[in-house]
Amino acid sequence: MGPSSYAVVAVVLIVVETALVVWLLFQRAHGRRAQRLLEDRWRFEALLAELSAKLIHVDGGGLDAALEGALRQMIAFLGVDRGNLDEYVAAAAGVRVSYAGPGIAELPSILLAAEQFPWTADTLRSGGVVRFSRGTELPAEAATDRRSYDRLGTRSHLSIPLRAGGPMLGVLSFDSVREQRTWPDELVDRLRLLSEAFASALERKRMERSLAERLRETGRLRQELTHISRVSALGELTASLAHELNQPLAAILNNAEVAQCLVEADVPNIAEVREILKDIVADDKRAADVIRRLRSLLKKDQPEQVPVDINDVVSELAEVIRHDVSVRNVPMSLELASGLPRVRGDRVQLQQVVLNMVLNGLEAMREPNGHDPALVIRTSRAGAASVAVAVEDSGTGIEMRDLDRMFQPLYTTKADGLGMGLAIARTIVDAHGGQLLASNNAGGGATFQFTLPVVAEPAS
Amino acid sequence: MTSAAPTVFIVDDDASVRKSVTRLAAAAGYTVRVFASAREFLAGEPAAGPSCVVLDVQMPGLTGLDLQKALADAVHRSAIVFITGHGDVAMSVNAMKAGAVDFLTKPFAGQDLLDAIQRALAKDTRDLGAEARIAEIRQRVSLLTPRETEVFALVVTGMLNKQIAAELGIGEKTVKVHRARVMEKMRAGSVAELVRLADAVGVIVPKA
Repeated sequence: MGPSSYAVVAVVLIVVETALVVWLLFQRAHGRRAQRLLEDRWRFEALLAELSAKLIHVDGGGLDAALEGALRQMIAFLGVDRGNLDEYVAAAAGVRVSYAGPGIAELPSILLAAEQFPWTADTLRSGGVVRFSRGTELPAEAATDRRSYDRLGTRSHLSIPLRAGGPMLGVLSFDSVREQRTWPDELVDRLRLLSEAFASALERKRMERSLAERLRETGRLRQELTHISRVSALGELTASLAHELNQPLAAILNNAEVAQCLVEADVPNIAEVREILKDIVADDKRAADVIRRLRSLLKKDQPEQVPVDINDVVSELAEVIRHDVSVRNVPMSLELASGLPRVRGDRVQLQQVVLNMVLNGLEAMREPNGHDPALVIRTSRAGAASVAVAVEDSGTGIEMRDLDRMFQPLYTTKADGLGMGLAIARTIVDAHGGQLLASNNAGGGATFQFTLPVVAEPAS
Repeated sequence: MTSAAPTVFIVDDDASVRKSVTRLAAAAGYTVRVFASAREFLAGEPAAGPSCVVLDVQMPGLTGLDLQKALADAVHRSAIVFITGHGDVAMSVNAMKAGAVDFLTKPFAGQDLLDAIQRALAKDTRDLGAEARIAEIRQRVSLLTPRETEVFALVVTGMLNKQIAAELGIGEKTVKVHRARVMEKMRAGSVAELVRLADAVGVIVPKA
């Protein structure tokens, strides 16, 4: 072999070696890129899993914050400049979560601004994804949309409709302003998966909202019913309340007339007039008291549970019913235990319960039954943590078959009863954390009793 | 007839009303006697002269309507003016049917009550006159012997002397004598007058 052959071989070897090195280098670079892509993809999958899990587990209260957090993480991960999650409830805005990078205006809700984005909105409504890397990719019929995107500075855009089986619930949008970017199929597929997690979160929130609304409505109806029942119970006392009011009014009028005569006399009896004026003032106060007590029972306020002295509550009600009970010739006695701890409750509602128990007792004693009529309202301590209010009558007692059902709504033994009194009384007592019970007395008649938990007050 | 000043009884369980109505009636010059309950009133002394009762309908224990009935049952002369804190039509109709003079709903004008009191006293004065007359007739009846009383009771039923004689098993002449004494003691000029007197005191035919 000649020296030229060696040179050729050397050159070939060098070339081959160089090619090998280049190939190896290329291979290595390629491997790194592949690995990076793989890593990116892995991180994206992990993020999607994390966000989906978060959205599925969050409760109603934390949902808005969770949606916002998820959106921000997505925006950061995708490296886009702004993004929106817009709920769309019956052509109106619902939840809206929006994020835009510093110095970049927020993206409007595409569905609410449908006149600016008619083609985009239509596409989304029919379930399609809208994506473009540059405005020129938009079809000719999207001219209006394109102008709007241009005006907003959008270079690349992606919008995905949110659905959870039913109609469209909203839209998830991402927008790139500072640079162009592409939206590979794989990315869009992954984002569609994520959008389902968003959609089911929105759907859940919507259900929670309507449940809360129903509960509010139920609560409002219950309050209304409680008020109606109270007013109708007071209606049974109308005659005696009118009487209570007319007594002082009559006294005031007649006293004033006598005073007038006295003043007009030749020698006015000033001492007597002074005496009369004192009586007029006292009677006026008495009439005002009747009205004040009645008004407090008739008013339709939000129930408010505050610490109250149960003896005060009972005594005040006893004043309202005193006359009615006495014209029925029923002796009423109050046996109020002293030194009772306070309970948490709504004064008017508690009086309503006592009023109901009293009316039931009076009803039970309407017909003579061999026992002298007697009504006792008693307060007492019931264990360490409760006080009890009992109304005891000497009436006909409760029939066994009524004992089970008498607290049920619409159950009544009265000819003109609504059957709501005791049911509402029980609801009220339940709402106060107490218990309403009825039992027959050993010596005839029945006792209605409710307990209330005492307020834990720091020892002073 | 007595010349005592008219008395107004006031029966009301409400102290304020009692006091104000008392002032009103006293200012009008009446003698006023006040009671807090129907029982107290029943236990009290009746008035000698004309009187009326201003009575509250709704009172614990005996109500005003109960008292009205008790007085009627006891054939007690009473002119009642009812006052009520809350009257209904049925209640006032019952009270008026049972002879109440008036039925006022509180609050009432003082003059309305004074007018009612005046009407009640006028009625009571009339009743008092009738009562006095009845007492006098009773006095005359008490002068009759048992046999004369029997004859009196039969004469006013329209029986002839012969029938009376048969009924009592005595002679017709004897009946004639008794009858003349009855007419004299009762100071009756005719049988018709005797009948009116019998009617006024309610002489009942004795069963033989």
